[in-house]
Amino acid sequence: MNDKDCYVCGKENLNKNEIGLTKKLLSKNARTYFCFACLAEYLEVDVEFLLVKIEEFKAQGCELF
Amino acid sequence: MNYFEKSERVIYADNAATTKISDIAFEKMLPFLREQYGNASSQYILGSKAKLAVENARQQVATFIGAETSEITFTSGGSEANTWVLRGISDLYDNKIIHIITSSIEHHSVLNACHALENKGIEVSYLPVDRKGRVSLVDVKKAIKPNTKLVSIMLVNNEIGTVQPVAEIGCYLYKKGILFHTDAVQAVGHIPVNVNELQVDFLSASAHKFNGAKGTGFLYKRLGLNLPAMIFGGEQEHGSRAGTENVAGIVALGYALEESVAEMQNTATRLKTMVDNTVRGIQKVIPSVRINGDEENRLPGTVNLRFDGVSGDSLTNILDMKGVCVSTSSACNSGKDVSSHVLFALGLSEEQARSAIRISYGKYNTFEEVEYVVSAICDVYNKIKSAI
Repeated sequence: MNDKDCYVCGKENLNKNEIGLTKKLLSKNARTYFCFACLAEYLEVDVEFLLVKIEEFKAQGCELF
Repeated sequence: MNYFEKSERVIYADNAATTKISDIAFEKMLPFLREQYGNASSQYILGSKAKLAVENARQQVATFIGAETSEITFTSGGSEANTWVLRGISDLYDNKIIHIITSSIEHHSVLNACHALENKGIEVSYLPVDRKGRVSLVDVKKAIKPNTKLVSIMLVNNEIGTVQPVAEIGCYLYKKGILFHTDAVQAVGHIPVNVNELQVDFLSASAHKFNGAKGTGFLYKRLGLNLPAMIFGGEQEHGSRAGTENVAGIVALGYALEESVAEMQNTATRLKTMVDNTVRGIQKVIPSVRINGDEENRLPGTVNLRFDGVSGDSLTNILDMKGVCVSTSSACNSGKDVSSHVLFALGLSEEQARSAIRISYGKYNTFEEVEYVVSAICDVYNKIKSAI
């Protein structure tokens, strides 16, 4: 597993939004990342909800995404 | 997609940002949006009824802050009122290098107005605050120069809720003959405000901070003090502020203030207990949590908490997903955290400032909601800590 894989399920090569969302929601200094499914499960929300939040953060000008 | 549907409920604990309009204020404003939509400047009955409603609201405001009706001018909100005072004083002394004193923790409507005035050559001193966020009279005295024409110190800080010693400063400035403005946006409707006890010459307030409607506020100007107009047009507001009056908003402002003042003591007691329960509840689970600002001398419903090692931005974002609305003292701009100027002024490090959240309860919050807020904050904090 490399550092761009999901810390929980091992999904490989996480995309910019998955890495950005881990940083945005957990820590900007995060060195391990979550895929959408694992992050949603961890935070007890739906994946769709996370995707809506990403669009919201983008609209705010956040360059993590 | 309405993602609020994803949460079982929404708990609004950000009343320092804005408040829900009260039922009474809402009911009272409605006729002026429908049946009685007349322009308050019109001569016929529809207009004169609107005018009467505006004057009734002016009387309500004047009564509650200890002013004369002629000293109240309705504005679009606190920012307009603040800007008007600062620009107005500057315009009064056109072509003269005057000096203005303010604090480093003012709202941006004051700070940015001061920065704009500095670009025009006006001198501005930004006073420091102590660890509790309080301005000292000693610092005010030290900062005064022969050309000091205005001091502007907020009554209650919007981020940490600290109440400033405005009456003490006002008493001194009155004797010195220096004009004194207070941004009372976070105070009016929440703590007793009397312009004579505070000895202020100007006072700004905003309706949506005390369960009125957005888009309405007022500026108190002591009798005899006139500021050059900032908006040009008709002779509304005794000729000092042009533009058709927001009659419905002004009516709502008057009734919201009347209601807030009537309930003030009971509401303050409830809100203080809510904040105490919140702090104690969180401290049980997270002993390292700290209060930013003054632990005692602050607005009853507002508290700013620091969770070292966890970003306030992360906390508020995940709390939002859980249906809890609180705010962070830092804003995320372009992926970079912009930390609060207020928290820096308290002497906090950048990391500490970034780890803060503000909880501000209002009169519609319940103790059951407070329990949920505490539980959600502790849960989210632990999730973040476990993951990083």
